[in-house]
Amino acid sequence: MRRLRAWFLRLGGLFNKEQRDRELAEELESHLQMHIEDNLRAGMPPEEARRRALIRFGGIEQAKELCRDRRSLPWLETLWGDICFGVRMLRKNAGFTAVAVITLALGIGANTALFSVIDAVILRPLPFDSPERLVAVWETSLRLGASRTVLSYLNFVDWKEQNHVFERMAAFHTADFTLTGVEEPANLSGAVVSSDLFPLLRVTPRLGRDFLPTEDNPSTAKGRPVMLSYGLWSRRFGSDPHVIGRAINLDNQPYTIVGVMPQGFQYPIQSKPIELWTTILVDMITTDQSKPITTQRGAHYLGAIARLKPHVSLQQARAELETLANAQAKQYPDTNKYRGATAEPELDRLVGDIRPALLILFRAVGCVLLIACVNVANLLLARATVRQKEIAIRSALGATRGRILRQILTESVLLSLLGGVLALLLTLWGTNGLLAMSPQNLPRLNGVHLSARVFAFTALVSLLTGLLFGVLPAIRVSMSGAAESLNEGGRSATSDSRRHSRLRTTLAAAEMALALVPLVGAGLLMQSFLRLQRVKLGFDPANVLTVNLGLPEARYTAAQQAAFFRQLLPRLQSLRGVRSVSAVYPLPLGDDQISISLEIDGRPVAKSEQPSTNYRTAAPDYFRTMHIPLLRGRDFTERDDEKAPPVIIVNETFARRFFPNEDSLGKRIKPGLATLPTGAVMREIVGVVGDVKHHGLNSESGPEVYEPQNQMPFSELTLVIRGDNDPRSLISALREQVQALDKDLPLFDAKLFEEYLSASVAEPRFNTLLLTIFAAVALALAAVGLYGVMSYSVAQRTHEIGIRMALGAGRWNILRLVIGDGLLIIIFGIAFGLVGAGLATRLMAGLLFGVGSLDLPTFVGVALLLGLVALSACYVPARRATKVDPMVALRYE
Amino acid sequence: MSDKTEVWQGTLALMILKTLEAMGPLHGYGIARRIEQTSGNLLVVNYGTIYPALLKLEQEGFIDSEWGMSDNNRKAKYYRLTRAGRKHVEKETQDWEQATAILARFLAPGEEHS
Repeated sequence: MRRLRAWFLRLGGLFNKEQRDRELAEELESHLQMHIEDNLRAGMPPEEARRRALIRFGGIEQAKELCRDRRSLPWLETLWGDICFGVRMLRKNAGFTAVAVITLALGIGANTALFSVIDAVILRPLPFDSPERLVAVWETSLRLGASRTVLSYLNFVDWKEQNHVFERMAAFHTADFTLTGVEEPANLSGAVVSSDLFPLLRVTPRLGRDFLPTEDNPSTAKGRPVMLSYGLWSRRFGSDPHVIGRAINLDNQPYTIVGVMPQGFQYPIQSKPIELWTTILVDMITTDQSKPITTQRGAHYLGAIARLKPHVSLQQARAELETLANAQAKQYPDTNKYRGATAEPELDRLVGDIRPALLILFRAVGCVLLIACVNVANLLLARATVRQKEIAIRSALGATRGRILRQILTESVLLSLLGGVLALLLTLWGTNGLLAMSPQNLPRLNGVHLSARVFAFTALVSLLTGLLFGVLPAIRVSMSGAAESLNEGGRSATSDSRRHSRLRTTLAAAEMALALVPLVGAGLLMQSFLRLQRVKLGFDPANVLTVNLGLPEARYTAAQQAAFFRQLLPRLQSLRGVRSVSAVYPLPLGDDQISISLEIDGRPVAKSEQPSTNYRTAAPDYFRTMHIPLLRGRDFTERDDEKAPPVIIVNETFARRFFPNEDSLGKRIKPGLATLPTGAVMREIVGVVGDVKHHGLNSESGPEVYEPQNQMPFSELTLVIRGDNDPRSLISALREQVQALDKDLPLFDAKLFEEYLSASVAEPRFNTLLLTIFAAVALALAAVGLYGVMSYSVAQRTHEIGIRMALGAGRWNILRLVIGDGLLIIIFGIAFGLVGAGLATRLMAGLLFGVGSLDLPTFVGVALLLGLVALSACYVPARRATKVDPMVALRYE
Repeated sequence: MSDKTEVWQGTLALMILKTLEAMGPLHGYGIARRIEQTSGNLLVVNYGTIYPALLKLEQEGFIDSEWGMSDNNRKAKYYRLTRAGRKHVEKETQDWEQATAILARFLAPGEEHS
């Protein structure tokens, strides 16, 4: 405490120095005068009195100096002196300073920009109380090898009731709702949640009340409750404080507003904000006789989140979930025999997929920064030779080695801090670019900004960078003996500078190696991306418009849904500019996918061993509209309705997998899904169509079945409309036709199919683009570094080259001499770089598609590219060497 | 050498504080003379060394200072013990007494502890 107080006072002593000095002088003077007076009184003569007083006092200047040291912090003053001197040196060598600062700014800036993304996306905790105690709970499918799948309601309820590790556990799924009766009909993103969700997240409504536990069940709840988001409340309800208790219509069902969530609250967190929440009871009510989804243990559709009890670890929770899942597998073998359970930090639900890519990019920018460091270190080394005399004089005048080291390090840290400041400016501009390029599904990107953490990161990185690139040259310089340097009289061809030049060439080779690693990474990603682009989708997305259309189940029975589309499709077909039109659910490359179990006529198996297949329902003409080839059999027609014999169409993979050596046409299968009261029935295969990449470009095509929409109506369908040319001009006409049939349907967004396609490659594109940019910066920096080293070496050897030429060496010999030196650096650099890249690319295997992490052509190609660029960086100085005039070179000394 | 200085500085600080405790506010010259007299002129030290010690004590908050007039109407800086200084003197005195008592046992010849 006392020490701290003294320290602060001393810090204050840095200021107001002159007044303090004056006061001290005055005090000492008064001391002397008093002593002299006493001496005079004792009878001494004036001269003697003064002399005695001075002797007894000791050295006045020493006393003053001691007081000065004690008064403030001497090392701080020295540092300040070093900084002032450093600034002067940097200003004097503006060219050097500019090159170094820009190099550093590129290196630090790339790191800062990427760190700001990583900070916002990965590091920032979830915006809930004690977010580290939140876990995402998943089922696993042992048969499909899926490590994270959603839960069925009955499994969820069992786990929630039987576990001893969670404080609370909640389930949710997203759903779209149509709001009617408040202004015009609107389609809203919503979530269906169990009533525990908000207490679990420890968020209370801003207005109104939480959901009640009784509201998880239609038998105990009084009607359907709905919670509004702050955004919806202020936009649609004018921030009306009396909105609680008001009845609204969602999907033509009456709901009661029970509360409004606080501003900014979102759960689940997704790119399209959730606007309202209701409870799981809506899943328990069905309009027809079908079994509610919440009663089917095999229907997996719920996300789950839990809060760990205090002192319970994630591992304990996992173990408990496994035990519960094992017990269920025995109790319900039909549905649960191959199901496990696991948990992971809740944050991983959001960022688990993107984290590896970001960390790889982060390593790449690390390489860029290292190259920048090496570049600047090389520049400093070159300058150190020039400064040798200055340093020698300093040490001759008594500067210790540590003192000189500190001076030089101060200069390098100054350089790197300047670079850091410039880097922040670059980042400010660069993150906007990053955000513009980034895929829509990268979560939490709106949080990217220059936060305090980003500033701290930049400051730290700048400081470390300065020390890193400064320390080698500093040691080198301070090591050179004073007498030696002074005696040399500035002659350059000495053992000392040879040592320097060896160090410089080693550093240049290291740079080559460092640049090769991100280059190879970028090469591999580019290869993958090209292959991804060349993937055959199995259909033609050009000029296809998609429109999501949902019919409220309250007003449309299954048969009415089928009838609606039977009426709508011919109306659309007759529009000018429409080539063909159909409907499907779920849309290929869309977010929704349906997978169901399957029975094959004549091959009875236990329920738990039934094979599964992807599932779609399609209207007539779907395959023609999408340009999916019909390989055998026939397409659906209008006549395949509920009165006609049940039919089904399968894809090629299905036919090959389940009927390998026989004709699949005419075989009968029963998919375990039904929307009509008649339930699931055996269906005859009437057609085989080509495979389609339904799950994205990098997925495998699995077995797939299509049922006719008229026999398997869905309330939600996606219209697919192929136009003669750009079909966007059709949108308003389409809307008119839909409104003519039902004016209460909300206006849905129409989207070009190609937009789904570009969304599905957005993430690989982002990764490829970023890594390519970073690799290009690395390549440029390494080339500049090599150029610098070669130029410097040519300049140093001007004399030698002159002699060689005078002795008859031709230009070609000189060119070979210089380029040979460069080539050695390049070969060593590339050799080490290839080894490093081979180790590094193994980390990115998960990001690659259709290309191995040790792809030989890529490695060779990238090495050649780097070699060529490096050679041209050598060529310019080599050419300069051949222009050396022997007479001038010899006279120069 | 440096160890000795440190010990010396520690003792000098205590001497200054003790002097101020006994004499009340006093200027640097007065303190130096008083220390010399109290030590029975055994302690001969450069007066100049007292000033860095005073500065340190002031920074630590044990004394504070103020310009005033001396008996001979000369302007001088007077030092005064603070409340924290008084406490510090008390504690330091005890520590010293204990330390010297222990040392005395070692230094006293032939007298085994009884």
